[in-house]
Amino acid sequence: MKKIAADLGYIRHVIFHPFDGFYEVRFRNKGNVGIALLMILISGLLSVLSAQYTGFIMNSNARYEFNSLTTFIFGVFPFFLFAVSNWSMTAIFDGSGKFSDIITVLGYSLFPKIIIDILVLILSNVVIESEVSILSSVSAIGTLWFAFLVFSGLCVIHEYGAGRNIIMLLATLVAAIVIVFLSVLYISLVEKLIGFVVEFASEFVKRW
Amino acid sequence: MKKIIALLAIMLLFASSAAYAEHTNDASYIYDFWGNANNSMGAFELSSVIDNTNMPEDISIKGINDIYVHNGRISLIDTAQNRLNVFTETYEFVTSVKIVREPSGKIVVSEDTGKQMILNGPEGVYATDEYIYIADTGNERIIILDANTFAYVREITRPENMVGVTLFKPSKIAVDESGRMFVVVKNSTEGIVELNEDGSFSCYFGVNSPKVNIIDYLWKSMASAEQRAKMSKVYAPAFSNVQTDNEGFVYAVTLDTASENMVFRMNSKGENVIRLFGYSEQLGDLVTPTNTEQSRFADIAVSDYGVYALLDTAKGRVFIYNFDGNLLSIFGGSGDIKGTFKEPTSIAWQGDSLIVGDARLSSAYVFTPTDFGKLILEAEKRYNAGDFEAAAQLQLEVIDMNANYDHAYVSIGKNLLMEDEYEEAMVYFSLGNDKTYYSKAYAGYRNIQIQRNFIWFAIVFLLFVVWILRGEYQYNKRQRQLEEL
Repeated sequence: MKKIAADLGYIRHVIFHPFDGFYEVRFRNKGNVGIALLMILISGLLSVLSAQYTGFIMNSNARYEFNSLTTFIFGVFPFFLFAVSNWSMTAIFDGSGKFSDIITVLGYSLFPKIIIDILVLILSNVVIESEVSILSSVSAIGTLWFAFLVFSGLCVIHEYGAGRNIIMLLATLVAAIVIVFLSVLYISLVEKLIGFVVEFASEFVKRW
Repeated sequence: MKKIIALLAIMLLFASSAAYAEHTNDASYIYDFWGNANNSMGAFELSSVIDNTNMPEDISIKGINDIYVHNGRISLIDTAQNRLNVFTETYEFVTSVKIVREPSGKIVVSEDTGKQMILNGPEGVYATDEYIYIADTGNERIIILDANTFAYVREITRPENMVGVTLFKPSKIAVDESGRMFVVVKNSTEGIVELNEDGSFSCYFGVNSPKVNIIDYLWKSMASAEQRAKMSKVYAPAFSNVQTDNEGFVYAVTLDTASENMVFRMNSKGENVIRLFGYSEQLGDLVTPTNTEQSRFADIAVSDYGVYALLDTAKGRVFIYNFDGNLLSIFGGSGDIKGTFKEPTSIAWQGDSLIVGDARLSSAYVFTPTDFGKLILEAEKRYNAGDFEAAAQLQLEVIDMNANYDHAYVSIGKNLLMEDEYEEAMVYFSLGNDKTYYSKAYAGYRNIQIQRNFIWFAIVFLLFVVWILRGEYQYNKRQRQLEEL
């Protein structure tokens, strides 16, 4: 219990001193993958909440066709896709980060974004149209902060320079597209195979 | 066998008598905030047909290209038969003009050509209290007739002071209250030709601009000057129709989907000042991944209370919008049954009814508003006249008939907002999905809440101030203690 409290306190250090903080995570075992996973889950939950409870003026989601489960999956899935594709690319091009390190970087980096998003979610219910731009810029700050933390965190855990890291991020994008493509292909193939087996069986039964 | 034949004969009798139901319940659709096409009630239904049965035996209608209604007189231009046909309010035949005659009955002989003045493929007509203007397209002139006797008054050929390369082939014509003529010339890329009352050229009015295409722009920026000269030039899209309203605005439409705007409401400078505050800025059918065909507008009919009807030739539909660009109703369609169009060309208001002409049908259809349509139009009239409360009352009745009619919620909300009923207005604006007006209502509501609970805001603020002062005090105290040490 004490360790969890200490780890949570450590996140505060990480988000203001990312290079220093993620170095300790990578090389001195200061990170906690459990907390990182929790952060990712919370951000998924938050995407559901903000789809439902953002104030009317700022909410352009079609709430009549809202599905909390799909929203949650689409909120969480990109992080894991990123982690898998980044890990698979960096593992080839001598990045030294482990998979758990990547997850930790993502989860810890989400912390300021989650706090700001909760704030925006609450305030969106009490703003008028002319004040929307203020809130959007606040939430943009959260997103930029998150992006910077992820970038610096990946630099540290893979021991990359900035240029190398940018190239690897582009490679990650390509890998992610390939993964999505292959999984769609696989799913449709399996669907066809199952269809064939079912058809064959029913034909077999009818003609026997 | 005989019995069966008798039965069939009886059935046939019934069939013919029931072939035309006077009150249809045409299903219609309307776009909501999300761009979904929701079912809606039909606001207009076919009530009469103007066809050869309305005509004397020796004259027939072949294809109508323009309609104008003024002072209870309906003027139809039949391009295929080279005729102007005039009807009364109740669609009774008045006269038909093919050969233009002087008041004495003598056939007019044109001064320029020395030939008898006969209409040749006329495409446009406009009527005022005194005159009827015919755009005699094939003969490249405008003929003005007396509105009562249909006798020749004068003709306008290409003005000598006209500039530009445009051929003077007038296709559509509209006249404003001071007698200035706005002429759509066939295939003109230079705009609408504005003529003075005496027929002299005034200016080109309202230039249309093509859509900017990024790929074309890229290619052109890379090409050399010689290559660029060989590329096909992008011309300004031509207007297809023009209309004036009672406030002096000139409305125009274009068929060209490559145009940046397709519907124009132009002020006296020729600037487009159309108000598009509906759910979508796109007029006509929304272009979506499933519907890639854009509406192409052949004609526009403007009423005195700002409601205008757009005639779409792509799908044969009529779109009705109010002054603010809110979609009120959609009706019509292309097809082969009565009341549907083949190639609709022209539309005009006759009171609250709409007359639609078709170039490939030998008839014009008259659509009158249903009970639902009457309510919608009446509400718009009241709103336009400033009687907002009556408009809101009518819109409540509209919602009783059709709860999917989002525009009505917004109208009611606007009335409540004007009466400072913020909370209720917010409910209606959220039902009608109008974020801008919801925000206005919410601003009022929030102000009231802040005023009511001002004491709590003040207490929180004071506590904050005390907290800061205390921090300052303690900090200074500590500094002093450090200095003393």
